Amino acid sequence: MNVDASSNIVEIEDLVVRFRARGHKSGFFRGASWNRAVNGVSFSIKKGETFGLVGETGSGKSTIARVLVGLYKPSSGRVRILGREINYRKKEDVFYLRQNVGIVFQDPVGSLNPRLTVRDIVTEALVASKSVKKRMYDSAVLDSLERVGLRRSSLEMHPRELSGGEKQRVSLARALVVPKKLLILDEPTSSLDMTIQAQVLNTLRKLKAELDLSILFITHDINVVRYMSSRVGVLFYGKLVETAAAREVLMAPKHPYSEELLSNIPQLVATQSLDSNAATRALVEHSPASEGCIYRNVCPKVFDKCVDEPELAEVERGHDVACFLYHDSMQRT
Amino acid sequence: MTTEQDQIVEQSQLGNVGDLSGDSLLKVRHLSVDFVSIDGRVHVLNDISFDVKKGEIVGLVGESGSGKTTLGLASLRLLDSPPAEILQGEIIFDGKDISKISDDELWQVRGTGMNMVFQESLIALNPVYKVESQLGESIGTRNKKNSLHTDKETDKSEMLRILRELCLDKPDMVLKKYPHELSGGMRQRVSIAMSTVQSPRLLFLDEPTTGLDAYVQNRILSIVKQLNREYGLSIVLITHDLTVASKICDRIYVMYAGRIVEIGTSREILDKPFHPYSESLLAALPSGFEDSPPLPVPGGEPPDLKHLPQGCKFNPRCIYVMDTCRTDEPDLVNFEGRMVACWKYPSTAKK
Repeated sequence: MNVDASSNIVEIEDLVVRFRARGHKSGFFRGASWNRAVNGVSFSIKKGETFGLVGETGSGKSTIARVLVGLYKPSSGRVRILGREINYRKKEDVFYLRQNVGIVFQDPVGSLNPRLTVRDIVTEALVASKSVKKRMYDSAVLDSLERVGLRRSSLEMHPRELSGGEKQRVSLARALVVPKKLLILDEPTSSLDMTIQAQVLNTLRKLKAELDLSILFITHDINVVRYMSSRVGVLFYGKLVETAAAREVLMAPKHPYSEELLSNIPQLVATQSLDSNAATRALVEHSPASEGCIYRNVCPKVFDKCVDEPELAEVERGHDVACFLYHDSMQRT
Repeated sequence: MTTEQDQIVEQSQLGNVGDLSGDSLLKVRHLSVDFVSIDGRVHVLNDISFDVKKGEIVGLVGESGSGKTTLGLASLRLLDSPPAEILQGEIIFDGKDISKISDDELWQVRGTGMNMVFQESLIALNPVYKVESQLGESIGTRNKKNSLHTDKETDKSEMLRILRELCLDKPDMVLKKYPHELSGGMRQRVSIAMSTVQSPRLLFLDEPTTGLDAYVQNRILSIVKQLNREYGLSIVLITHDLTVASKICDRIYVMYAGRIVEIGTSREILDKPFHPYSESLLAALPSGFEDSPPLPVPGGEPPDLKHLPQGCKFNPRCIYVMDTCRTDEPDLVNFEGRMVACWKYPSTAKK
């Protein structure tokens, strides 16, 4: 265990989440197959840190988020919150998890009950937490709404009367009405308009400083992740392939997949500069290798060692990469 | 007004893309559309004029409620009436005003003339038919229009060809699938295939990349660019994301509250946006690292079309707001070779 374990808000070790796949033959368990949505992921989030998790659709980002609020149970692996290991079979452990971790989901419409008013939606979180006295409910709700930048008049409104950005703010108010240690943001802005996205991101940054939060920020938008995160992890089909400080991953990625992901950043470029090279590269479909390095089917730098599976190992101070290209150079030096 | 505007656009440095007056494939002039409901009347489009030249990619950029999708639908005359009501305007496609032609004539124009790929590919495709029969339907319609007769074999090989062209791995597998079995990017490409198989001359793409991750997004955009290059297909790209538009569009129309507020080439708008709204769209793009200053975006929400402010519709969110902005609405006029609707610019102030 780390010496400075106390400063870690969350520690995840070798997390595996499997889902039963369809298409198995008749009979009990006969030919049943499992999909590993998350396959041996380990990382930790320090106090006051924003950890950005990036990856394509289906890379397991949201699954990790859901494990951290107890919506999915891990198939194996350990999850520790504030040093306490969570046993997902025990009710009080899951309760402890939810007391300390708040989440904002991607879909602002689906995550709010259309029949409740904003006041009810936020109050629900207070009731569930059991940590606030009933007579304090109203003031807590108001404080929370104010903090996320919602008008007092929205208190009695229903979600349908609010715009997309306001709905996400309600979600945020609900997540933070009981003070949390870790806030999970699962693509919180991807359904919002550009200017509204920027407003929400600014609010999130402000809140983080005010409330001394740690954040797990999940997104596929590299521009957003760069703006928000102190450290970044790159996920590819359930495997963490690289973690390091945001500047290092985004400016000098090491893993070939990270390099590729970054070459796809939406940038403000004028029309003719969509270079044909990048275009053809972008046309390759990704399919993960079933054994060995998960990226070797499409990796431009594949070599004979890649039939084995590389571990996520530190290759530079604070920079972990799961690729034999760097493990080798480390051994040589 | 029409000729005046044409001249102005010609004056701007668009000459390299071709002579506008002669080469316009689609000309929309002074189009105004209202949506009428029990709650009242909402002006969704307000005196919109826009052009698409042959072989050009045009971007319509704006936030939700800016009327960009309505403009697309109106150009194809796909708006349901009621609630939509076209108050005025001409839609000239290939030299013919299609705003008043009969349904039979319209049938000839739609699909093979103009076509549209809708935003939600899951909704645009029929969930109970396999890809093969949906693509087949598209081919069938085209054949009917051109009074062609093809057998199943040729149809199938054509389907396979077009899917392969759109860079789908294993096209024969894709044909046998239902829409829900495909990923978002694949579905989007099937939608595009259904439209392009009819070989239209103008294709509207409504938010083709929204909800897809950056990787798939790039793939779709390069396919769109490729279609444009290889077949000279004119394209109108409707998007809220200026980065997406800037990547492949020749010219961009920035829309706000049912009005066009700025017209320019991609480069012009990126390098130096004239309209404060275009400026804020650029500023809203997250840039810099965690320790960078907050993004300089205007407060406020996209406009509610039911309660639009007096004067310039952007004035409550504008940082340069002046007294005139609150009372009078600026026209779209020429400033330094670009069209912009803002009181900040001298040629507007003259009036």
